[in-house]
Formats: sequence, structure tokens, C-alpha cells
Amino acid sequence: MTHRERPLTAGRLVAALLVAAFALAACGGSTGGGTTTKYVVGVSNTLQGNGWREEMICSIKAQAKVSGVVSKVIIANRNTDAAGQIADIRNLISSGANVIVINPSDRDALNAVIKQATDKGIVVVAVDQAVSEPSAYVVTNDQVAYGNLGADWLAKKLGGKGSIIEMRGINGVPADTDRHQGLTAALANYPNIKVVKQTFTNWSLDPAAQQMKDIFSSGIKFDGIWTSGIDATVVDQFQSANKPYVPIVGADNNKFVQDLATLKDKGLTGAAVTNPPPIGGAGLAVGLATLQKSKTYDHVIHLTPQVWDNTTADGVAKLAATYDSALDPYYSVAFDVKPYTTYSKQDLISCQGPS
Amino acid sequence: MASTAVAEAPRPAGFRFGRAARRYGWTVAVYALLALLMVITIAIKPDYGSFEWNTLTLAALPLAFAAVAQTMVVLSGGIDLSVGPLMALANVLALRAMLGHDLNYSLVVALIVLLEVTLAGALNGAIIVVTRVPDIVITLATSFIWAGLALLVLAKPTPGIPLDFQNLAQGSTFSPWVPNALLVLLVIPLVWIPLRRSRAGLAIYAVGSDRNAAFRSGVNLGWSRLLAYAVCGFFAACGGLALSMTTGVGTPLAGTYYTLSGVSAIVLGGVSLAGGRGGMLGPVAAAYILSLIPAVLIYLGIDPNYGQMIQGVLIVIVVMIGGLGVVLRRA
Repeated sequence: MTHRERPLTAGRLVAALLVAAFALAACGGSTGGGTTTKYVVGVSNTLQGNGWREEMICSIKAQAKVSGVVSKVIIANRNTDAAGQIADIRNLISSGANVIVINPSDRDALNAVIKQATDKGIVVVAVDQAVSEPSAYVVTNDQVAYGNLGADWLAKKLGGKGSIIEMRGINGVPADTDRHQGLTAALANYPNIKVVKQTFTNWSLDPAAQQMKDIFSSGIKFDGIWTSGIDATVVDQFQSANKPYVPIVGADNNKFVQDLATLKDKGLTGAAVTNPPPIGGAGLAVGLATLQKSKTYDHVIHLTPQVWDNTTADGVAKLAATYDSALDPYYSVAFDVKPYTTYSKQDLISCQGPS
Repeated sequence: MASTAVAEAPRPAGFRFGRAARRYGWTVAVYALLALLMVITIAIKPDYGSFEWNTLTLAALPLAFAAVAQTMVVLSGGIDLSVGPLMALANVLALRAMLGHDLNYSLVVALIVLLEVTLAGALNGAIIVVTRVPDIVITLATSFIWAGLALLVLAKPTPGIPLDFQNLAQGSTFSPWVPNALLVLLVIPLVWIPLRRSRAGLAIYAVGSDRNAAFRSGVNLGWSRLLAYAVCGFFAACGGLALSMTTGVGTPLAGTYYTLSGVSAIVLGGVSLAGGRGGMLGPVAAAYILSLIPAVLIYLGIDPNYGQMIQGVLIVIVVMIGGLGVVLRRA
């Protein structure tokens, strides 16, 4: 497709007049005033009001700031579908973005527009979820490993024998399907571990709390709980029902990390499996390095989660070091993705891009 | 207000200008607003070119069809909450049938899908007319039925709309400034103008304006309303096919955003939610306005969280100005 080849005279005339009038309003230059080349970063996200996604965007801003080579971060963030995201990415191309970090709403629908961008020399990085366009870079947390590692820890903790409850996320969402697949694969090695109850929390607190109440009142016998990240709420239900703790697997949420560190004396054992939102910052780091030709990366990067448990010295130290009383209960405390991100924890929390 | 739409015959020459202002005032205002926004956009982005124009036409295409579909029903005095799911249904039916076929085959499939979803729309209308249950209740219920049907046809997002078929809406065959996504909109006047000029079209306005008066004038209420829902289904199918063409995939949740944003577009486009007033030109312009706002925000680098607020404020302002017009006319 060719662009801007035939000037529309009337449009040009109006444009020229207005340029004169609104000279101050003009923006969109892609080079800064400094000696080094400055890049414009575009971000496309299609889910608003979600804590994990907001933290992901903050990590992109923070990484852009500390990289020192980014002049501007333009964020296209609204609740929309693939058609809307295509428009957003095209608008980011128009805005002169050199790197575009996207959290894709569909695996295949964005391929044409991604190809258009990469043909223009723009580096496109899909984070959190994959796209099938080969010219894009894909940087994701390995969700199969997330399910696998947590379930394996739980099965080992129970001595390879017992009944567990699986509290999943949203039915039909790829991350949930992948985690369930990983969990199932891990438990295949432990034939005496049985999943006695499966629930969908929809990654929301209220359903998870209600499901725990129902489980307690139903009298189901269980020895451990695997959660897909709605973890501290489950711990709370044990406290309010005054039941003895069983081993619980959760995610790197601030409150759960605190629970693991402080309730160990009261008999709570558990593990936090990381699912870092800074995958966004890691994606930007990959994009910038590719643009500067300072490093070559594979087009597909799967990051393996870490397991922080409160039964080993290493895990306890990690848990104690990461909990932050100033942050929200469900703020994800995996602040960085080494070796990709280079910002400090404070950079992430302040959520400021390059000014 | 029925007289403005129904009584065409006695037309004293002196009232013509006033009538025109009353009938087309809002439409002109919406186009003026669109023009103003375009001028601001070009001021913000002096190198606004055919690529950007193409982006706008692509983004507005499904929304324009959703708005026009909803307009059909609202003109007849109803509301259709199942426009989005009808779009999804058309979208997944198209994918299932087109997968791995060429352009000619895809065009035949598109015609069949148009027919199927038109029938689904007609079924909405038939249930409402026969049961006399309020349309908002029926279409809320059928919206779940169409959405469930879409999931049965296709369980998860699947690529595979033939490239030639996608290119009917993507790219620009004739000139970079006349993108295909703009030309596809010609389906609207092709269907709407003959309908608007026919007795059936007039009857739809009459039913929407004043059901009793329409009945006493010998208008068949049931058939008129059913026709409006059927044409709504047709345009919703166009919207679903537009999504197929712009994204290249079939998605069972495709239409999720378009039921409500379609209503926003018709309110902004000067269609009275009370029925009987408005046309198709306004909602199409409104779809362009609503698609241009996110683009401008990205060009400006403004926090996009303001986007929805700006849309809301714009609708309130336009509706207030429109309401002021009505008050002044009565005074």
C-alpha cells in the first residue's frame, strides 16, 4: 500500500493555514534535541481498569525513562476489540512510534497491521500474550510453567498424596487454559494426588471468597489449595472460618507474600509463583535493544516463573524482602524481569515516563 | 411530530426553508462537528495523509453499520439490544463457510450470511410483534441466544478469512484518498434510499412517530415493525462482515462493543430515541466522529482515560443543543 502520494489541494491549503495558526500545537517529531537518537515508544492495551495491566504499562514507562533513549511514550489504552486495536496501532504508526509494545487482544487479527509496521522499520513487541506474525517479537510469561511449577511444589509438599482444590481463573481465556494444562501435566507424576474440586474465580475476589465459604460448609476433605492468583482472599477465609491452614499456592501478590511471611508461625505454608507485569518493561527493553542493534534476541521469549515458598531459607528471605506495606494487597511485587528491565522499584511505583 | 414525516402532500412553498432546517439541521450540525474535528486533527498533525484517513475509515466501518442497524429499529419506535451479537453471528458464520475458499465463493457466502442474519433480525421483530412483550425485553433475551449461537458456530477466535475478501474493505483500489472501507459504506444508501422513498419506509417512520395515528391511517403496524427489525439484521450482518474484512478472523465475541457504541452514534447522529425522527446520514458521521476521537488523543499523547469522558461530554453537549432547538421551535 502506498501513502501520501497525491496531495489533496484543499486539504493541504487548510493544513498550511492551520499550521501557521497553531504552530505551537504541532507535535509528533520523532527526534529529540540531544546528541543521541531519541525514540518514540507506542503502547497498545485493550483492557482498562485492571491492576495487572496498569502495572504492566507503568513498567514500560519506567523502562523508557531509565533507558535514556526514549523521548516520548504514547499510550493507546481503551476497552476495545481487535478492530479497535488495529486502529490504535495504525494511529501509533502515524504518530511516529519507533517501537510499539502491544498486549494483543487476538492472536491473529493484528498480523496485517503488525506487518505494515515492521515493513516501515518499526520494532513491534507483543507482551503477555502471543501473536502469530513472525516479524513481531513475542515476550511472554510462560503460563504452562506457572501451572506446572506451583502444582509440583504443592504435590511435593503433600508428600505425593492427598486431595487438592484447584481455583482457576476465567474459563476459556488462554492464560487459564495454559495454567490448567501445566497443572494437569505436573499432577500426572503424582498419581495419588486428586483434584477433588475445581472452581472458576474469574480472577475476582468476591467469587473466590464465596467459593471458599461453600467449600468449608460442604465439608469436602482437602489437603491443599492451588489458586490462579486470588490467594490472599483464600487465606482470609481460613482466618474468618477459624480453620487450620493447608498449604496454599498463589501468586506474587503483595498481601499473599505478606501472609506467607507473617503467618508461618500460625501454621501457614505456601508458595508464591511469579507472573510479573514488568513483562511490559522487558518487552520494551528487547525492542529498544533491537532498534539500537546493541543485542540480538530470539523472536519468541518465554520467561519461566519463579517460586517463592516459605519453607526454604531462600524463599523466606525473598518473601520478606519483597513485601511492601505501602502497596495495595493485590499489587504484584515481582518488580523486575532480570536481566531485561533496569529500572528501580521506585521508578515502577512512581509510574512516570520520560518527561 | 408525525406530520413532519407522514404528511408529504400539501407543501406550501413558503415553509420549505423552515422545514429543511428542521429536518436536516441536526445532520448539518453533525457534519459541521466532524469537519471541525478534522480541521483540528490536521492542525495537530500537519502530515495527516491517506494512511491516517484510511485508518479512520477502517475504524468507523463496523461502527457505522452498527449505528445504521440500530437506527432502523429506533426509527420504528423500538430498540434492539442484540445488534452486537447479530454482528458476531455474521462474523463467525462467514469464517466457518469461507475458510480456505476463494473470492467468488466468499462473495456467495457473504450473500448467504446476509440473508441468514436478516432472517434472525426478522425473527426478533416477529417475536416482538406476536408476543407484544416490550422490545427491550425480547432483544435482551435474543441477544443471549445469538451470542450463544455464535459460540456454538465457533468456540474460539480463528483466523482464515480469505485475503481477497479482506481486501474488499482494506486498502484502496481507486485512489489512496478513496479507501475501500469508504466505498463499502455505499451499501447503506443502496438499501436505505429506495426504502425511505417507498410506502414501507414511510410506514416505518409513521409507526415510530405515533403508533395510533399510523394505525388509523391504515398502516400495518406488525409488518412495518418486522421490516424494520429485518433491515436492522441486514445492516448488523454488514457490520459483522466488515469485522471479518478488517480483522481477517472470526471471533464469537466480535460484536461485544457495538450494541452500546451504536446507540451512542445514533444519539449523536440526531436520531430520536423516541422514534420517528432522524435519518442515516447523521449516524454515519457520528461513527466517524467517535472513531476520530481516540486517534486525536493518540496524536496528542493525552492520557487515553479521558477518551470515554470526552465522548460522553460530546454526546451530552450535542443532545442539549438538539433539545434547545426543539424548545425554541415550540416557543
